[in-house]
Amino acid sequence: MKCEQYEELFAGWLNNELKPAEKEMLEQHLTGCPACRAELASMQQLWAMMDEVEVPEPSANMKTDFSAMLNDFKTAEANKKGTTTGIKEQLSWLWDWKQKWSLAFNLALIAISFGCGYLVFNLAGNSKQDQQMAALTSQVHELKQTMMLALLENPSASERMRGVSYTGEIKHADKEVIDALLSTLNNDPNVNVRLSTLEALTHLASHPEVRAGLVQSITLQDSPLMQSAIADVMLKLQERRSVKSFRELLKQKNLDHGVRDKIKETITQLI
Amino acid sequence: MNSLADNTIMLKVKAGDLDKMALLFERYHRPLYGFLFHMTYQRETSEDLVQQVFYKMLKYRETFTATGEFVHWMYSIARNTLKDQGKSLKQRVKHENTDDLAERLSGGLTPEEHLEKKQAKLGLYKAMEKLSDSHREVLTLCKFQELKYQEIAQILDISEIAVKTRAHRAMQELKSIYENTER
Ligand SMILES: [Zn+2]
Repeated sequence: MKCEQYEELFAGWLNNELKPAEKEMLEQHLTGCPACRAELASMQQLWAMMDEVEVPEPSANMKTDFSAMLNDFKTAEANKKGTTTGIKEQLSWLWDWKQKWSLAFNLALIAISFGCGYLVFNLAGNSKQDQQMAALTSQVHELKQTMMLALLENPSASERMRGVSYTGEIKHADKEVIDALLSTLNNDPNVNVRLSTLEALTHLASHPEVRAGLVQSITLQDSPLMQSAIADVMLKLQERRSVKSFRELLKQKNLDHGVRDKIKETITQLI
Repeated sequence: MNSLADNTIMLKVKAGDLDKMALLFERYHRPLYGFLFHMTYQRETSEDLVQQVFYKMLKYRETFTATGEFVHWMYSIARNTLKDQGKSLKQRVKHENTDDLAERLSGGLTPEEHLEKKQAKLGLYKAMEKLSDSHREVLTLCKFQELKYQEIAQILDISEIAVKTRAHRAMQELKSIYENTER
């Protein structure tokens, strides 16, 4: 057998996974092959040294972050479940006693209208209830939005990331949300947060101000990772207005070589 | 056995007892952090990634089938998360002071520790950093996560023989980088 055919056995030897027969086979080869002997010996040495390479301790707030994430996830799940089983249940936690009373009043009104046999009343009651539902839905929406905007200000990067991910749940992103996301995209110190924000904004690309904001952001990004991710997005959106910004970016002398090539390529594909 | 319990716990999470995820976090956030750290060499990023992996395990809990081990599923999700986060995470590392990091990582260096040994450890650390991602990944899973080749095969979704070959190539690459690094 040739030396290369013992490679698998080398790996098995290092991780102490060889069966007795395999071990014997390898040892036999090693006896007659000084080259493999030397090779395995130095690998063995490195393998053992690796045990001394330590990983730094994760910081103490990891656990707190996890608990917060779990709690938010549970709340989000409970709300989601609500949507399928009935919007009333989902919203019930938002209702204070006044609203409950007013619903009771509404129901009473409907009952009366039925009692009287006046369909018109019934319809009136229903539409009033619809209005109330709409009002409550918009309250939940606002609540989510407030939560998201607050999370974007959080000092922990993973919290900000969570804030960004909430945008997926907000149906109609208004100007306030878009502005907050664009500001995160341009100013957040953590590149992962900026990347997630870019992704979230890509989903909102039907808004003209999002597209404009993305184009403007091109020259503001200094991380190669972000520059290259934005190039991907612009290509995906076929956003021709970005070409000017990319050309601007190419003027920067310290631009990463890989990014430079990618941007040139992107420009060619866009024009 | 621990792993049996892991699957039982995860099945409870899947069934809707989301709080049980805290037990799995308790058990696995450190090793997972270790894996992600070796794949990125960035502390803050690794911590964020750990949170993301646990978030995904909650979100995609339906996909857990218990046909395999929980840890394998967890590392598969961790690998996907790394992929999503951009291939060029490593690019940033170059801007960080790797010497400083290597110093910290090679274990608390006692005064008695021989200078030569200290330099050897630093050299190894730097060599590991230079390894290609797939080679570093297989060694990390093997050495630092203490997984068997057959388990790694499941995580990477390749054959056990392919894992062994990759591990061997990884060691060859590591050896050559290590021996050619100026120290
Ligand atoms: Zn040989």
